[in-house]
Amino acid sequence: MASHLPPKPTPQHSTATAGGMAEAEHPRPSGLMRWLLTTNHKEIGSLYLIFSLTMFFIGGIFALVVRAELFQPGLQLVRPEFFNQMTTMHGLIMVFGAIMPAFVGLANWMVPLQIGAPDMALPRLNNFSFWLLPVAFTLLLSTLLMPGGGPNFGWTFYAPLSTTYAPPSTTFFILSLHIAGISSILGAINIIATILNLRAPGMRMMDMPLFVWTWLITAFLLIAVMPVLAGVITMMLMDINFGTSFFNAAGGGDPVLFQHLFWFFGHPEVYIMILPAFGIVSAIIPTFSRKRLFGYASMVYATA
Amino acid sequence: MRTLLVWMAGGLTSAALTPVALANGWNMPVGVTALSRDIYSLHMIIFWICVVIGVIVFGAMFYSLFRYRHSRGAKAATFHEHTSVEVIWTAIPLLILVGMAVPATATLKNMYDTSEADLDIMVTGQQWRWRYEYLGEDVAFTSNLGTSREQISGADEKGEHYLLEVDEPLVLPVGQKVRLLLTSDDVIHSWWVPDLAVKQDAIPGFVNENWVRIEEPGIYRGQCAELCGKDHAFMPVVVEAVEQERFDEWLVERKQAAAQAAAGVDREWSMEELMERGEQVYGAVCASCHQPDGSGNPPVFPALAGNQPMLDDLDWHVDTVVNGVSGAAMPAFRSTLNAVEIAAVVTYERNAWGNESGDSVQPSEIAERLADQSE
Repeated sequence: MASHLPPKPTPQHSTATAGGMAEAEHPRPSGLMRWLLTTNHKEIGSLYLIFSLTMFFIGGIFALVVRAELFQPGLQLVRPEFFNQMTTMHGLIMVFGAIMPAFVGLANWMVPLQIGAPDMALPRLNNFSFWLLPVAFTLLLSTLLMPGGGPNFGWTFYAPLSTTYAPPSTTFFILSLHIAGISSILGAINIIATILNLRAPGMRMMDMPLFVWTWLITAFLLIAVMPVLAGVITMMLMDINFGTSFFNAAGGGDPVLFQHLFWFFGHPEVYIMILPAFGIVSAIIPTFSRKRLFGYASMVYATA
Repeated sequence: MRTLLVWMAGGLTSAALTPVALANGWNMPVGVTALSRDIYSLHMIIFWICVVIGVIVFGAMFYSLFRYRHSRGAKAATFHEHTSVEVIWTAIPLLILVGMAVPATATLKNMYDTSEADLDIMVTGQQWRWRYEYLGEDVAFTSNLGTSREQISGADEKGEHYLLEVDEPLVLPVGQKVRLLLTSDDVIHSWWVPDLAVKQDAIPGFVNENWVRIEEPGIYRGQCAELCGKDHAFMPVVVEAVEQERFDEWLVERKQAAAQAAAGVDREWSMEELMERGEQVYGAVCASCHQPDGSGNPPVFPALAGNQPMLDDLDWHVDTVVNGVSGAAMPAFRSTLNAVEIAAVVTYERNAWGNESGDSVQPSEIAERLADQSE
């Protein structure tokens, strides 16, 4: 097994507390720079979780606007165009800003601990994939202040409502989704590299906790489908700005093509959001019922 | 013990609520077609299968949680694999799924059989109204929301069919197989009437098919079921099913009314007449985007009040209404509005809300232009 280990963590490192040696070797920046430059998996995990919680509250406020408006029939608080922006932003923020980063944060915290690794395999990439997220979501939220308002076409953004008939800010929405997508792909690469390379000597794949297994599968799903999402929003970008007609029937395009491409991403996305949660449940229930998980092997096969 | 009582109370409440839910119309409607009854019984079969599975699974779970709790000194068992149990509880759901798929596929096959229809209706979704065309009958009209703006804003008391009423319903004969051909002029809409068990997407560039054979005369209401923009909530579907004789009479009346509306194209219209007609058309067709006061909703929907380029160029104005703006939300109204309506609405837009161009367009000019264009 030793030959499978990467050269970097020496035996000394693996016996030390995660990140402990780095502190001894390098001057540690304080204040904002500490968080901006951190490569410690627990600190990055905390950043992800704090970011996710912030987004959860923002998305939650949007949901409150939606429900307050629907408290009784008729128009009460907001106009229909703003109402649609609230439903859309609620969906986008909860999916891409709250749920997905929350699980990446938990993976950052737990995967190295559960497989006995000193840190994530690619700590600087880890830092970069987190700091892409605040950029992406600041951009996304700023569309609400642009002329014509933010995205108002639902979180599934079906064309041509999201292309020909969309507000001008849609181009910014596309850019922000691209950035969030890059963040997800980099995070997934990091998790796969960590799980495959940094397991403690002697730990076989079938010895890994289920949370690690579910995240391994989730990471492969992310790498498989985020590029499809990137492709479909790039096609939207072309339709909006460069006169193509991918989804414009009047130009020979096909609005249903959008739906097929979107759901090629969207269906696995459902599993991306639930698999890590299955892994968490499979850790919590055995712990509190003081009994080993029933059917570990078939759970792994079912996940994969 | 108290916990068990809470659980039992919860279980009993939900069991007791089921018939209440069924009796109060919270369930899916049975509907008025043979197909809608098939779909309803499918729904109920699957509902009861789910109830049985839920009772067994949650029953076993809650029982073991309660019976083997730590405070009663329960010790966890040490087993953690059992191949045959796992095979069995994988095989059973598989069999249940296959069992549900058989009747569902039979119904689906029936749903897709649109052959041998007695009547063909073209249904076209537009932001935010439905257009119906009785193919081969030379009858076509647009069905707009019938609820007043005052009811929506809360100034007036809301009516019984708030947001589920239209100015002109789709009239269909009972007992006939009616084929619906659905498409859209702009974004994707979905034509949904629960009582007819029809929910079909209307997609630009596609013609989707569905069919109904309504068994009972009556008024059936539905809505657009695919987010289609700002007024998605304000484009209901109303179907009025009538006996065949009444339907034939209605077709004749409808043709006469259309002929009457088209009449008057040749005569000279006064400014007052055009303004009055224009205000009606504007309110029904244009106001949802450009707003009742012409202020629009820039940048997507430009303001018309004080729009100098529009006031300076009458020809461009007419062309925009007739042919729409390619690549933008403005639709072409040449097939939706007749010459009188186009002339009236253009005149109205040029002379309302402080616009004082003073010029007007005659229906005859528009008719000429439409004729030129179609050549």
